[in-house]
Amino acid sequence: MTNDMLTVPERLVAFLPNLRRFAISLCHSRELADDLVQSTCERAIAAADTFVAGTRFDAWLFRILRNLWIDHLRRAKTAGPQEDLDQASEVSTPSGEAASDARMALLEVTEALQKLPEEQREVLVLVCVEELSYRDTAEVLSIPIGTVMSRLARARKNLADLMGISIEGKRSSGMKGGVA
Amino acid sequence: MKQPEFDDETLMAYADGELGDETTARLEAALETDEALAARLAVFLDSRATVASALKPLIHEPVPEALLTSVRRMAEKAGPVEDGLERKVIAFRQKQTAPSRPIHRPWLIPIAASLVAVIAGFGGFMLGREIGVTGAGTDAALAAALDRETSGNDVTLSGSNETLRVVASFRDEHGDLCREYERVRHGVSTVSIACREAGTWVTRLALSAPHAEGYTTASAQETIDAYLSSIHAGAPLTPEEERAALAALR
Repeated sequence: MTNDMLTVPERLVAFLPNLRRFAISLCHSRELADDLVQSTCERAIAAADTFVAGTRFDAWLFRILRNLWIDHLRRAKTAGPQEDLDQASEVSTPSGEAASDARMALLEVTEALQKLPEEQREVLVLVCVEELSYRDTAEVLSIPIGTVMSRLARARKNLADLMGISIEGKRSSGMKGGVA
Repeated sequence: MKQPEFDDETLMAYADGELGDETTARLEAALETDEALAARLAVFLDSRATVASALKPLIHEPVPEALLTSVRRMAEKAGPVEDGLERKVIAFRQKQTAPSRPIHRPWLIPIAASLVAVIAGFGGFMLGREIGVTGAGTDAALAAALDRETSGNDVTLSGSNETLRVVASFRDEHGDLCREYERVRHGVSTVSIACREAGTWVTRLALSAPHAEGYTTASAQETIDAYLSSIHAGAPLTPEEERAALAALR
């Protein structure tokens, strides 16, 4: 990208949809995501001089957002008896309609994602949605690249289990039938 | 040496394009004969595709007005941005130095848009390849129309009741052909910028608003301006240049 000429605040506005997608993917609540994006932007503007020109702007912002999210989780945890997030289930899943669906046995992707431990969800989103390399992901999360890989592999096996993805099954269920 | 063995992380790295050449070659050789290995690999290929197709489209969601306004205000307060915006607009206008070309951006005037902005991000999304807002059929029709239609005409997208008007064509900093267009559907107007990348139209920016013709809100215009200057958009192509550019797509 030749966006290096632009200042951090300038690039921030154009990056909002991306940042918001990452936030929604992490916290599964748009309201929370928007707060998170807002705080991230404040933080990014205040710390604009720590951004090194020529490095990945997205990784830098994801790191800020992710750290704020982890802070939020920590506070929420110490604020009172909360569900262990690693075990979190049915927190924000509207069930009624989904349950009556033909795919009853299978969890929707987003539901399945919410059932993953936070540390697995974040690597999954960074690599598979935001398309960061393992190395960039390791930097965003401040963990070794080997840890990125082991978490990511576990996340994907867990996801496949949760969704009941069998290799043959998925292909055909991906096709939608009649058109209204 | 012992039998080549491939653990989950190796298979995953292959699925993610992160495996070194040497191991890739060994793995590919093994995959030809080992069905169980292929099935294990499929879990990693499929999980990536599944997560991507579920979450990537979130980028099309309009950024709430309050958030956009708040961040823009923050950015303005940060100081340099105002100078920056001015500098960018000047930089943008400098490209329009050809005497026959208008100094103002006339193609922005008919845009109807409000504060609700969807910017597709630097990655953009592929028309007809990811789940679009209006469905794959419409996206295919849209892509075909972008290949074909000259600026300034209203056309109805085949198989829909959507109206398309290509507002202008221009080239970005890489020389890629870009088109700014407006779609009107059920009284909602979306102004988008799509650029031709590797044989596909990739949407770069989209602004949605209740349809009202003839004006652009200052905020929407700022967003478009900021975006166009960030991709170093050139001046709008003349009708002749546009015809040549479209012919070159075929």
